[in-house]
Amino acid sequence: MLKPPLTFKHRLVLPLLLSLVLILGYPLAFSLWISLHDYRLTAIEQARWVGWAQYFTILTQNASFWNALANTLRFVGMAVSLELVFGLLLALLLHRKATPFRHFFRAVLLVPMFVTPIAVGLMFRFLLNSQLGVVPSVLRALGITIDWFSAQQALITLALIDVWQWTPFMLLLLLAGLESLPEEPFEAARVDGASSLQIFWHLTLPMLRPTILAAVVIRMLDAFKVYEYVYAITRGGPGESTETIQYHIYRVGFLYFRLGEASAMSYILIAVILMLVVLLFYALRRESLSQR
Amino acid sequence: MKGHRFSFLLGAAALLAACAAPSAPAATTVPTRPSEAAAAPVTLSIIMEQVPDYDIVASLTRQFEAEHPNIKITFDAMPYDAMRDKILTSALAPSASYDVIIVDNPWMDEFARAGFLLPLDDYIARAPDYDFNDFVGPLRDIGVVDGKVYGVPYYNYALGLIVRQDLFDNPDYQAKFQQAFGKPLQVPTTLEDYVAVGKFFKSQGIFGAAMQPQRGYKIFEEWKNWLYAAGGNLLDAAGNVIIDNAAAQQALEMYIDMYKNAAPPNSVNWGFDEALRSMSSGESATMLSYNWMLPTLNKSDGPAGELAGKFALHEVPGGKAVLGAWHWAIPKNTASADAAWTYIAWITSKAIDKQRVIAGGAPTRVSVMQDREVWEKGFGQQYYETVLKILEDAEPLARGARAEEIINEVGTELNSAVAGEKDVAAALAAAAQKTRAILARP
Repeated sequence: MLKPPLTFKHRLVLPLLLSLVLILGYPLAFSLWISLHDYRLTAIEQARWVGWAQYFTILTQNASFWNALANTLRFVGMAVSLELVFGLLLALLLHRKATPFRHFFRAVLLVPMFVTPIAVGLMFRFLLNSQLGVVPSVLRALGITIDWFSAQQALITLALIDVWQWTPFMLLLLLAGLESLPEEPFEAARVDGASSLQIFWHLTLPMLRPTILAAVVIRMLDAFKVYEYVYAITRGGPGESTETIQYHIYRVGFLYFRLGEASAMSYILIAVILMLVVLLFYALRRESLSQR
Repeated sequence: MKGHRFSFLLGAAALLAACAAPSAPAATTVPTRPSEAAAAPVTLSIIMEQVPDYDIVASLTRQFEAEHPNIKITFDAMPYDAMRDKILTSALAPSASYDVIIVDNPWMDEFARAGFLLPLDDYIARAPDYDFNDFVGPLRDIGVVDGKVYGVPYYNYALGLIVRQDLFDNPDYQAKFQQAFGKPLQVPTTLEDYVAVGKFFKSQGIFGAAMQPQRGYKIFEEWKNWLYAAGGNLLDAAGNVIIDNAAAQQALEMYIDMYKNAAPPNSVNWGFDEALRSMSSGESATMLSYNWMLPTLNKSDGPAGELAGKFALHEVPGGKAVLGAWHWAIPKNTASADAAWTYIAWITSKAIDKQRVIAGGAPTRVSVMQDREVWEKGFGQQYYETVLKILEDAEPLARGARAEEIINEVGTELNSAVAGEKDVAAALAAAAQKTRAILARP
């Protein structure tokens, strides 16, 4: 008896596979195809093959692209490291049974995460506005003047807004990680007379490392997509000081309608993110092996 | 495990790519239009920007529908940022989502050369008593691309110098200015005088100018007035990029001097709203803004409160102003082109345009701006005569199929210079180099 080309279990998976090809495969293939063409929305019929020269030009001649990439890396570095520090501090605090109203604070602290980022951007645009904003007004009353959106400060301000919104996410993951840790090592350490700092440094932190890594990677990937705050608040300015890579790609693709170039930039960005993630996993793997 | 990680990353990559990849649009073709018998009922969909001029047009349109029972109008009003994408997607679709569109000045050449717009020459020639030449020349010219008319003026947004006239007329300030500069305090007509007046008012506790150095469009629009006043331009008559020449350097240096020494602090990201707030709150003495902001500021129940009536409109220093304009246009892929033209011809006709301007709309026709009834029922003779003068000596913000990109790229470099990230020469050299690269693209 001949075996059917597809077994029952394969046939069950087939609709999903076809959907994935349509939803993921086609856009990926199409964007790769247009990334190799001079493809403009206002001149689609004149689209022409330019090949890898598109990538080469971006990498060697496009200073704005590199500036946007550097801004994004700075933003991700600032935002994710602050979120990790604050998230960990808050998680430790809320993990302590002695903390009063900890269940209430757990709920309240998660609220910023549920606000849509474009609304957060608009909210801070007004809160920090030098004419109308509450924050500059209060600071002025205290004799402090900060230009939140100057060329030197604007990217830091955007990172701080991201910290306000996404520290809760870090808190959520780290708190879950803390609560899943076994009690026995901690009890043994306390019996042996270890101080709170020693317990944190030698037990909590090493045991929490996989959770920290997962939280950092997820936040990092998400922070790389920063677009809404830039769009709602600074539009990349002053100059190009807050132009992030996603905003730059938007500008080229949807403001100038040069979709071929924007797609090539997206592929370069994917390559950069992949490299960073692989490096991060490699570093962690090496460290965990060395500890065994 | 490894496989899961990479599946996840692949998923993330696909999402990123999906953001940048639209589905392949169909080729744009001119649909064959049946006779569109006048009796056949038709609904026209019109994209509009959500601004006060739209409210006036929407209100007048009820009259059109009463006069043309077979044509129904539906408006899709939205913020500026959403418009260009919507028009583009409608133009790329096999059949248009919009039968009438409004086209901003920097998009006109781009859309016309992309084949999105229907030439209107035949319609205009056939329209009785339309008098196309009655539209102010520079406004009319924006709608003409490669010798064909693709757009009919809807409203202008040419820039003028709006001042607190009461400050200029104040005898105390006049005496102090005379003492400090050895000449009378007057509304400035040159850049040198403008900077001097700005610094003078700042020394008196009022900011000299509410400026709009926001990156991209805003600073380009404002600074280009300074560029004209210094004798410069973006391109010379032969099409060479001259934005890095001595005139441009002088214009940018003076602009930065004004920003640092006469404008409100920390205003490097200010755009239209912030500058208007600064003027209407009495914080600043002057601003370069759209000519039709004057009636808004002088309105008794407007944003300026008790300061209403104290503002006046003048030509920008140097006389030649930046001209922006919206035009009515018909997408090539609409199935209701004749009805669309019927509407455009009606709303831009002399009689209806007069009603629109009396209701507060920005003027476009010479005859309307010279009409006594408009003076009396509108904002006064002096206002319309000044607007006409501004429009007659104005030059479009930018022309060409890449205008939008040039405006944004040059505007980014200018803002870098004002923010102190680059010096004037470096910013202008970068602006010139980017403009040349944009223009050199096939």
